[in-house]
Amino acid sequence: METFTLEILTPNGEIYNGQAISVVLPGEEGEFGVLAKHASLTTLLTTGVIDVEKEDKSVEAIVINWGVVQVDEEKVIILVEGAAAIRGANESEIANALDEAKKLISDIADSSSAIASVSAKIETAAQRLL
Amino acid sequence: MANLKDIQRQIKSVSNTQKTTRAMKLVSTAKLRRAEELAKRSRLYAQKMNQVIAEIAGRINCSKVGGIDNRCFNKIEAPKMVDIVFVTADKGLCGGFNIQTIKAVKALIKEYKEQNVKVRLRGIGKKGVEFFKYNEVELFDSVINLSSKPDKKRSDEFIRTSIMDFKDGKIDALHIVYNGYKNMITQELHVNKVLPVDGDSFECNDTHSSLLEVEAENEENMLDSLVNKYVEYNMYYSLIDSVAAEHSARMQAMDTATNNAKDMVKSLNVQFNKARQAAITTELIEIISGVESMK
Repeated sequence: METFTLEILTPNGEIYNGQAISVVLPGEEGEFGVLAKHASLTTLLTTGVIDVEKEDKSVEAIVINWGVVQVDEEKVIILVEGAAAIRGANESEIANALDEAKKLISDIADSSSAIASVSAKIETAAQRLL
Repeated sequence: MANLKDIQRQIKSVSNTQKTTRAMKLVSTAKLRRAEELAKRSRLYAQKMNQVIAEIAGRINCSKVGGIDNRCFNKIEAPKMVDIVFVTADKGLCGGFNIQTIKAVKALIKEYKEQNVKVRLRGIGKKGVEFFKYNEVELFDSVINLSSKPDKKRSDEFIRTSIMDFKDGKIDALHIVYNGYKNMITQELHVNKVLPVDGDSFECNDTHSSLLEVEAENEENMLDSLVNKYVEYNMYYSLIDSVAAEHSARMQAMDTATNNAKDMVKSLNVQFNKARQAAITTELIEIISGVESMK
């Protein structure tokens, strides 16, 4: 599979920097996926989950509260304000990450349905890891 | 000549002070390392953020007649009211760190007053806030405990008032004044004009913009939302940078204090030895003269 470079930056540093096969982003007007050689694009992201398919085909979920993405043919750069990755080596680490992610969205999202849909997504992402 | 006991007491007190200052220096060194690391990681975000804003603003500037239709990017000819946000430390004992910022703020206020522009002062950090309160300079609002522990959420909340007021036309400019980190031994004073954003720096950049695909009606919205984040981020970065600078200033001040204490102990020791010697000599003379008189 062809891959592209993905960078996710927060004001407190990088949260992801590496190769990815695909990435699904929560755009302002709906979710969209990006593969390698995608046409150039700049758009805003809203509260939601970024699904990153890594080189080894594993999928990592990263919760964000606001962002802007810049896509060009070889590279995708995402600037986010707050982000929490659902990752961890064992059950308790994943549980911690989950809590952090939930806190992040409950702080920002104003509609309860948005919170519900995002939390459902991260719950599934966490299940996948366990 | 001072009494032996007095000198001894003084030596003890000075060396205790020396212990404290040395400990403070070590603490600051450790904290500085962490703060510096955070600032470094954060700088990457700043670069990309500026790039994205410059690109979009540049595109609108080139493609649309009349330039960008957003108050944040337009030059304001005759400002009536400006916001000055300053960042100082919550604690002292860091040399001229706070006073430098305060001086810069005072100079800026004076400059605006001469042009008959009203100034709204907003303060972060206990030291600066206390100073202006003591000198009876009116503060619009202030927060403490934020500059020692930068927190994105609290800093966003604080600066949002200024952004809203700017967009509503209540204020015509926003300055952030803070003392930033340059390297281990120097701090650099920043007086940043955050709003309105300097539009001249965004040039028509044809090579890149042709590749870019942005929905046209979205551009302005996007820019608006980006500007908010840009200002919020600028505020946050000022706080991070200021913390790093504070620790480097304190480290230096405490290093000097430790050295001064060391010198003082040294000279006190000499004084002590001299006094002791004098006392012994006097005693000897007394004994000898006693013996002499017995003969």
